[in-house]
Amino acid sequence: MRNFKAIFRKQLLDSLKNMEIMLNFALYPFMGFLMSTFASPNFDGVPEEIQQMLAAGMPNMMMMMATMFAGMGLIPVVASIISEDIEKKSLRFLTMAGVKPMSYLLGVGAVSFFLAIFTTFAFGFIGDFGGTRELLVFVAAMLSGVIASIFLGATLGILSRSQQASTGLTMPAAVVLGFGPMLAQFNGTISRLMTPFYTQQLNAIADYFSGGPAAAPLWQSFAIIWANVIVLGIVFAVVYRKKGLAQRG
Amino acid sequence: MATISMKNVHKAFGDNQVLNGVTFHVNPGEIFGMLGPSGSGKTTIINILTRQLSADSGEASTAAESHEIGLMLEHDGLFNRLSCLDNLIVFETIYGIPRARTLEALEKVGLSDAHKTEVNKLSKGMRQRLVLARAVLHHPKVLFLDEPTSALDPLTARGIYQLIRQLRDDGSTIFLTTHNMEEATHLCDRVVMLHGGQIIEEGAPQDICNKYDAHKTLPDLESVFVQLTGGGLE
Repeated sequence: MRNFKAIFRKQLLDSLKNMEIMLNFALYPFMGFLMSTFASPNFDGVPEEIQQMLAAGMPNMMMMMATMFAGMGLIPVVASIISEDIEKKSLRFLTMAGVKPMSYLLGVGAVSFFLAIFTTFAFGFIGDFGGTRELLVFVAAMLSGVIASIFLGATLGILSRSQQASTGLTMPAAVVLGFGPMLAQFNGTISRLMTPFYTQQLNAIADYFSGGPAAAPLWQSFAIIWANVIVLGIVFAVVYRKKGLAQRG
Repeated sequence: MATISMKNVHKAFGDNQVLNGVTFHVNPGEIFGMLGPSGSGKTTIINILTRQLSADSGEASTAAESHEIGLMLEHDGLFNRLSCLDNLIVFETIYGIPRARTLEALEKVGLSDAHKTEVNKLSKGMRQRLVLARAVLHHPKVLFLDEPTSALDPLTARGIYQLIRQLRDDGSTIFLTTHNMEEATHLCDRVVMLHGGQIIEEGAPQDICNKYDAHKTLPDLESVFVQLTGGGLE
């Protein structure tokens, strides 16, 4: 517990002073706010699908930005934190002082989750999802997605030798998970391909808020998201066992 | 019983044989210096003794658990965006020691006034002093110092020497590497000279200088090294 507390405090202070990281937590709700407030559904040249989506109201736009945050924002953040501590050899001093690698990862993951709670509520309040029940559904879906992203980010961070390498590893995953659900709205094949991914299900939950025809029942979306959490958790455990952290710091 | 010992240790990285049958021991409560030019294998020895690296063959042991060891290595591993004090608080929490000891460590290395300064705003010398404060924070049983004064001005270096002697007097065993022969002469109780992956001389600095009749106005270990190897230090 002492080690977890030390890592949590260190990482929270470090993240709050790291502009790149804080930008990732603040940018997506801010962009969602700008788009839903100022984008006009009747703007000339805007494809009909986009116009429909904009017309459907804020929740869809917010859900799209929330999906992008989970996919594009959070994964590189977690990978970057871990790879920085590996590259700068900070992790070596922590493990030599007696911090177990799993305590370190829990501390880093907990800080990312903690900051993501604020981002999630920012989406929730700006997005105006309706009543308390809708807000709770949104928060539950988002935080489940956040856990999946933290597992994926941590896995890629462990695999990276440096921060630069982590960017190369996280970018393809971020593009697929972040942009995939957006592209899926315009193409049935992409939509089917994206169905097993948690970010696609986060986006699908937008239908629940907009009152439109739902692509899948709510419980099914949650089931797929949690299946992602479990699979990514297992992948993380396998990579962690194989690669370890203690010898890499 | 020796606190640190190596017996016939070999280590190679690919075709590069870095250590070739290294044998030495360090007694409890002494300041032990490992001298040699850059690339001679000093850091590899520290990595093996701190269990961060395995030897290919031979025996290496340090009579202390990981958390009883203090480390000051080439890569400082500091958290750059945190202040000096916050860097130490991370380790204070891990070791479960009182805040007073953290403040005392900062004072000992002369960083009390800079305790709120972010690490990325510190000079190289100040960083090195902070690393030393972190290394001694938990009053370690064994302290490994890799080139502890390489970036320090002479005055600060003297302060560090005083701190190292004080730690020795408090019962810590200190293993330091350096290519600064003058530093070794003044600071170390015993030294070994490392060259070509082997120990080429061992003993008290004064005794080694006497053995090779190497005296200028002060005992001169560097001359001994040049005599033994035919080459100078970097």
